[in-house]
Amino acid sequence: MTTAEIRKDMPTRPAAREADEGARLGLRLTLPAQLLVLFISVFPLLMQLYISLTDWSPLSGLGWPHAHEMWNGFANYVDVAGDGRLWSALGRTALVMAVCVPVEFLLGLALATLFADSFPGKRVFYSILIMPMMVVPAVAGYMFYMLFQSGGPVNDILSSLLGMPVTVAWLSDPMLAMLAVMVADIWQWTPLMFLILLAGLVGVPEDQMKAATLLGASPWQKFRTIVLPRMKTIIIIALAIRVIECFKIFDTLFIMTGGGPGVATETISVYIYKITTQDLIWGYVAAIALVILLVLSVACVWAMKRMARKGQPA
Amino acid sequence: MRRSPAFEAFRYGAILLACAITLVPILWMVSMAFKPIAEWQATGADLTWFPKEPTLDNFRYIFGESGSNLIVALDRTAAKPILSSLLSASLGTLIAMAAGTSAAYGLSRFGAGGNLPLALIQLRLFPPMAVMIPVMMMWSFLNLMDTWWGLALIYGIVTLPFAFWLMKTFFDDMPREIEEAALVEGCSRGRVFWRITLPMMRAPLASASLFVFILNWSDYLIALLLTTREWVTIPVYMASLSSSMTGQLYGAKAALGLIAAVPPVVLGIMIQRHLVRGLTFGALKQ
Repeated sequence: MTTAEIRKDMPTRPAAREADEGARLGLRLTLPAQLLVLFISVFPLLMQLYISLTDWSPLSGLGWPHAHEMWNGFANYVDVAGDGRLWSALGRTALVMAVCVPVEFLLGLALATLFADSFPGKRVFYSILIMPMMVVPAVAGYMFYMLFQSGGPVNDILSSLLGMPVTVAWLSDPMLAMLAVMVADIWQWTPLMFLILLAGLVGVPEDQMKAATLLGASPWQKFRTIVLPRMKTIIIIALAIRVIECFKIFDTLFIMTGGGPGVATETISVYIYKITTQDLIWGYVAAIALVILLVLSVACVWAMKRMARKGQPA
Repeated sequence: MRRSPAFEAFRYGAILLACAITLVPILWMVSMAFKPIAEWQATGADLTWFPKEPTLDNFRYIFGESGSNLIVALDRTAAKPILSSLLSASLGTLIAMAAGTSAAYGLSRFGAGGNLPLALIQLRLFPPMAVMIPVMMMWSFLNLMDTWWGLALIYGIVTLPFAFWLMKTFFDDMPREIEEAALVEGCSRGRVFWRITLPMMRAPLASASLFVFILNWSDYLIALLLTTREWVTIPVYMASLSSSMTGQLYGAKAALGLIAAVPPVVLGIMIQRHLVRGLTFGALKQ
């Protein structure tokens, strides 16, 4: 007798039957998402692991299932450790993060503070200010590509400000190209910080602020003792989102400079893209990608555990 | 709270400056989109912020009409890339929303899903570039390379975390009394979901779908790797618009950029209220 038959014969209590029904429905409802995640994690990871141990390339004339004929053990992983271009790309990515995220945070916080109470025109200004983050990043990249041309509007504005003709070739100078790329990132993502921080700022209770004002607290004191502690979680979330996204930076940057001049603005995603499509050394790319995935996974699990332990809603 | 006039003046000054910086790049592209070819590369004293002779030629040009002898007609128009972007982003949104909504309900009501929430956060964390090689290999094995439905499948997976977390917070917020009343009346759990919960969630479903659509529409990197010719999307087509034959087609690209930028900006302003919730994975509600 199977369990199903036993169950049919037994008079079940409605509550138990209902819980059972709920569990089965829950399982069925989550199944499609589970399958999609499996589909994009298990196969790709196994394939990536497999070809990362070989010299396989789409140009090698072998189908990838035969990649084991080009087995090279852990040579790719040894190469990753000694790949200077990879480490410089990582360094550049870190630099973009270290400059853009704090600037975006401070600008976003300043704007959010200005929007904390109501004033005429607030809704219109708000809609304008959040526009950049909705512009397709590739299109934003093209906007800034045009702006930073040597005969373009940025130099035009600088010329009229300085009173002399400025013809800087922004995107062909290694330092200036990096600066231009950062400006574009700050333009596009400060609104995100603004949006998130404003949502947090609005949640600060007005009566506490009023009481503090009556007690003679300065704006800075109020900010530090009332606003900041309440916004801690929100600030962490906002910074985490931007750090994650900054690490992936590709679209705007690639359209503006293509990683150039030379490799001056080559970030980690741009580097992987180039060796994927130009050098076509896929076995090696797979090794790099796996190392990155591994490091990020460990970081992610660690961060989640920490958050769960602190009992903060993530 | 009453503020001093000096503060008000400072506030408006700062906000107007921020708005100006926000708008300049956008307005420059809009202006460029309506400039005739002669004004595309004007520099120095000739550089103007508004087109001297506004024209729709750029839009006509990308749809296959070459009104001017100065530039070579395009061998492929923008029509198909626009269609490709629309189709892949829409089907991708449908996949993400269908799988995400049902999984969110399963987790919110029955605690089902196990490791799914964590897996979805990891999916959001990883740079797409780091899984693209196996995806390209799988897609060519499945004959999905250079098709809009192949793009839609990967879009659906990439935006699944957003759809899932967004819908989960909406389900968590929804009062359960109505569902419970229906259960007492003898409705099955499945029927409650289909006939009662989903219709009640029409507005959140619409907002979440628009949000996911914006994300899919904004992709560049994935389409760059998975489409080559037949079904390239707008950003990929746009980047390919310049050639040694034609040079940099500033105005034409700006016109196309404008077409690409308008839908997400309009949709985004429509769902302003839910942007924070969507972007922070529901950790924050406005």
